[in-house]
Amino acid sequence: MRLSRRKFLSLCAKFGAFSLAGGTIGCTGQKEAKVESQLPERQFPQVKGTFIEGTSSGDAETLNWILAGDGASLGYVNFTMDGLITYDNNLNIVLRWLSEPIEVSEDGLRYTLRIRDDLYWSDGKQVTAEDFVYTYRNLMFADWMPFNYKDDYREEIDGEKRFVEIKAINKTSYQFIRQTVNPEFLYTITDFWVYPKHIVKKYEGDIEAFTQADELNNLSYTGNLGPYRFVEWIRNDKFVLERNPDYYLGKESGAPYFEKYVVKILGSAAARHAALEAGDITSASIDPLQVKKFKELKHINVYTQPTSGYNILVFNFRNNGWEGFKNKKIRQAIAMSISKDALIQSIYLGFADPAFSFIPRPSPWFVEDGLSRYGVDELYDKERAMQIFQDEGYELHDGKILDGEALRLTVVTNSGNKVRESICFLVKQELSDIGIDVEMKLLPWTTELNQYLRNKVPGSDEEPAFNNGPDAVSEKPWDMIVMGFSTDVLSPSGSSVFFTSDGGLNFGGFSNPDVDALFNRIRTKESLDEDKRREIYGKISILLSEDLPGNFLAYPVGNVGFQSNVMGIEPGISMGYNYHEWYFA
Amino acid sequence: MTATMRKYIIKRLIYSAFIAWGIFTVTFVLLRIGPSSPADRYLATMGAGKGDIEEIITALETRQGLDKPIYVQYVDYVTNLLHGDWGWSFSTSMPVMDLIRIHWIYSFQLILLSMIFAALLGIVIGIYSAVNQYSRIDYLSTFFSFVGISIPNFWLGIMLILIFSVKLGIFRTYYDTSLPVFSFENLKNLVLPVITLGTGSMAAYTRYVRSSTLENLKKDFVRTAKAKGLPERTIIWRHVFRNAMLPIVTIIMFDLSGVVFGGAYLTEIIFGIPGLGQISFNAIFAGDYAVVVAVTLIGAFITLLFNLITDISYTFLDPRIRYE
Repeated sequence: MRLSRRKFLSLCAKFGAFSLAGGTIGCTGQKEAKVESQLPERQFPQVKGTFIEGTSSGDAETLNWILAGDGASLGYVNFTMDGLITYDNNLNIVLRWLSEPIEVSEDGLRYTLRIRDDLYWSDGKQVTAEDFVYTYRNLMFADWMPFNYKDDYREEIDGEKRFVEIKAINKTSYQFIRQTVNPEFLYTITDFWVYPKHIVKKYEGDIEAFTQADELNNLSYTGNLGPYRFVEWIRNDKFVLERNPDYYLGKESGAPYFEKYVVKILGSAAARHAALEAGDITSASIDPLQVKKFKELKHINVYTQPTSGYNILVFNFRNNGWEGFKNKKIRQAIAMSISKDALIQSIYLGFADPAFSFIPRPSPWFVEDGLSRYGVDELYDKERAMQIFQDEGYELHDGKILDGEALRLTVVTNSGNKVRESICFLVKQELSDIGIDVEMKLLPWTTELNQYLRNKVPGSDEEPAFNNGPDAVSEKPWDMIVMGFSTDVLSPSGSSVFFTSDGGLNFGGFSNPDVDALFNRIRTKESLDEDKRREIYGKISILLSEDLPGNFLAYPVGNVGFQSNVMGIEPGISMGYNYHEWYFA
Repeated sequence: MTATMRKYIIKRLIYSAFIAWGIFTVTFVLLRIGPSSPADRYLATMGAGKGDIEEIITALETRQGLDKPIYVQYVDYVTNLLHGDWGWSFSTSMPVMDLIRIHWIYSFQLILLSMIFAALLGIVIGIYSAVNQYSRIDYLSTFFSFVGISIPNFWLGIMLILIFSVKLGIFRTYYDTSLPVFSFENLKNLVLPVITLGTGSMAAYTRYVRSSTLENLKKDFVRTAKAKGLPERTIIWRHVFRNAMLPIVTIIMFDLSGVVFGGAYLTEIIFGIPGLGQISFNAIFAGDYAVVVAVTLIGAFITLLFNLITDISYTFLDPRIRYE
């Protein structure tokens, strides 16, 4: 069983681990989370102090979570409502609202969830399976509700997309019923929270009233469902919570142990670092350049944690890109010319791991054997790269590769992102060594999005989309784009949107029928067997590392600093999964 | 106030309302015919989403009423506005008017105090420099004025935080909104932001006042006053000062109108002040049209109002000026 992608995202966002979306955690076992209940009372920490988390990644949009399209909103809500499960640093499932692990039928079509019987709304009414069924059926799946993740709950039957069925079994159990097998649906159904049916019913069908409802925007219904209760939200300033004395996991342990928890928005990294150093905030993420300094400060503990985001140099396979990218050997020669060690040392200051495919190392589906490791060791070889160009029919003249005339490529990225801008510069330098001129284009995000990423068939009336088929081209020509992607570490098949022929975000136009077929196999009965699924993911990773839809560059790691009097932290990819047990010494 | 002046003010207020409305209409139309969409910001973070991107974009635009023809959107907006409804901010999940009502005070107190700081010091130093032209103090003030004008706000702010907050521990590194506005602690909280925002203006005012005072010191009425045997202090403060203030008042009023248009944006970012500067800029990047239009409309009106106040203040500073 695995963790929900969005829960993991909100956990990571909480501690500044990464700013890209995505990320789900995989796991191979289950365990109960009620460690605190086994401890004698006298050992429980004292409740005291205010934990102030400094962040520069922007404020949330809404606390009415079903309408949220951003990670910060989900992160805020998560303080007040735990959710069904979470994941520890080994990506094992830790039960929260669920009283026992999810039961999956042998045919992989029925998922039965059982919730605890001690969960209550603020008005004292018990949280029931009917609340969950209502939230899915009448809210998430409803036509009037602009829920961003509807597609996750649909399956294709006879060429038509339909929502999965959901029904209550008894007061605390409910069941999802599918017509088709999708082993990774397990992660989807533990995403998100629940609304109280008896409160929300009056807003049903009226999106304006629902959007503006006080109870939903003030999280006043959350009862004992999370370690903290909402107090105040000053936009672009702070989100304030107070300890929830009724927290269902704190009945015996008294958790959580902070009187207040505040998320403070600090607009710049410099302000964030200064506030952490001065002791005005309790924790904050630390930029690579500052890590050394903070490690030397006695009152700060710095923890490094992996993330699920990666940077990639996407190649344009469409008709307005350089023809040479359609040749796999040329793509490999390009990847062979860009040093990932240089990139990691000079741009990330060592705080990144080289990427060769789309699944990061912490994922249970990561494979190492068989990956083509372009850009490191013997596969970083500029002379060999130039030889490949010559072997493929390109002439070399005065140190320049000729494709009719001197080869000149464009590399595009969004301006303002210093890491991506630096990567463009490195690509320009590295490719100039093998005789390719590279023109850098640093553009506003909206321009990049509309003129370079969206595409349509020339002369057609269709609306530009990110993948309008193999004949579509973007408004402006381009050859390479530096982008940040993110992988759902628990269910990486979500990345099919980037790498399959009809993937919704395959703006580069990459197509490999074998990759398409393998991604399809993930959503079949054979993948219910985790070993089989691991094998399929291994094949996809190896294939992509060799076929190169783009040059996978690096997985950055995050650094988070805490005042040294904060106890109970367990560093790792899911740091913060046990944050209700943290306390001040 | 004379009847003529009252009539003049009413006329100018009506003109201002029309001009503000024109600016609002242009902004409204430009936002909607522009290439960006409120959905754009989500696309950067949809990397791992399995959802149908186009469906999401359509749903977002429908929810915000952007799927309707532009004239329908305009009529709807104006009708709601006439009923006192400024719309809903989708990027902050609250009514636009509540958003502005809560946040304007943070920008206003910062800009007002910065202007007072800049104007007081700028005027005093400027006059002193002019009266003591080519003295050591004049050279010093000229030097520091150029330094003040040249230092970028964000650099100065960060340096002040590092010295006075991190090293000396005198001030907090960020602004604390939980303090009452009218309290000594709040004033202390604002010391570094006010210096950060006010230093550039103070330096500029010093230069303006110095040059304006020097110009007036050479005028015939000063010579006459001196010939009449008036004390120098009376000549400076009663005669020269009032005349020298005319150009300065225009500049100060213009700076004050920045309260709505985000004049303090960088300072707000550095010190974590949730003022209108941050609100406006975030709304622009989030494609939160209701906030952008409201801020533009209110900002345009306030700028025009300050222009009117500036014009009226001329009549007090220079009795020769009359409006009809």
